[in-house]
Amino acid sequence: MTRSQSVSVALGALGVVFIVVAALYALGVLQILTSSTSGPHYKHAVLFVVLAVASFVAANFARPKTA
Amino acid sequence: MGLLQGASELFPVSSLGHAVLVPSLLHWSFKQSDPSFVPFLVLLHLGTATALLLLYREQWVAIVRGFFAAAIRGQMKTESERLAMLLLVGTIPAAVLGVFLESRIKSLFASPDEAAGFLVLNGGLMLGFELMRRRAERGLSRSEQESHFAEAERISFRAAALVGACQALAFLPGISRSGVTIGGGLLAGLRHQEAARFSFLLATPVILGAGIVEVPQLFSTGVPVAEYLAAALLSGIAAYASARFLLRYFRSGRLDPYGWYCIGAGLISLALLHFSL
Repeated sequence: MTRSQSVSVALGALGVVFIVVAALYALGVLQILTSSTSGPHYKHAVLFVVLAVASFVAANFARPKTA
Repeated sequence: MGLLQGASELFPVSSLGHAVLVPSLLHWSFKQSDPSFVPFLVLLHLGTATALLLLYREQWVAIVRGFFAAAIRGQMKTESERLAMLLLVGTIPAAVLGVFLESRIKSLFASPDEAAGFLVLNGGLMLGFELMRRRAERGLSRSEQESHFAEAERISFRAAALVGACQALAFLPGISRSGVTIGGGLLAGLRHQEAARFSFLLATPVILGAGIVEVPQLFSTGVPVAEYLAAALLSGIAAYASARFLLRYFRSGRLDPYGWYCIGAGLISLALLHFSL
């Protein structure tokens, strides 16, 4: 994997966005692409938490390592 | 139902397709449009996932440890760490598609016709995967063929994502999760037995994830919980036996027999459903 500080920061920021989206789904604020139009959507929230974890892991992988 | 699901889940013949078709063909008093139907299937899948966790318990311990070690370090040093990351990459496409296409997929569950049609398509896919594999094997003897191909830990991340995307097709009743992921693994250059192992490992987080979200819905619908749990136990026992059989079978076996079975079963089901034979 190509290591780059900017890619790492971008992936970290994406992870933060996913966390926010997860919180909005869990609170029932976000209703995009859901089967019902009211209430919390925990399945969507869990998915975005997983995506956030994947983003943070990828960010750590992309971070240039000091010898 | 539990035995049927457990036995057919890991065989590349679509357990979901069978779970939709068989009650309809045998006129069981199962309403597939009932809100408890999908959570009930998920409970049976949890039995399967538990069987897979037991079968691969040592590997899962290494995978979980490897995941945290590699994630914190930001580097993969061991095969278990690489496998953990491959499974993460492979799981995401199915999870994303499963969550966002859930309602459309659920509407398909209620239709035995579509399940039978997808079962025929599944059979065609199995035969297609093996046809492509045979082209890659040309010039090699059968014993050389398997050693020529890779182990699960060696595939690329792009290939893992491709296999994961294949897994998403299995949300369609009639398309086999293990069939398309084993087929995807074959296309990615894995040997048959390794493609099966990767498929089984890949299935576990998705099934467990679906279960965690769906099962509470089942318990809130007032169904006979003890009976359903007994079905999940039977499903797990059948799945464990199936997995052991398949890992042995794929040392030298291929997907073709399952492909022909799916085509035959799908066509016969369509005939029975349409002509009331």
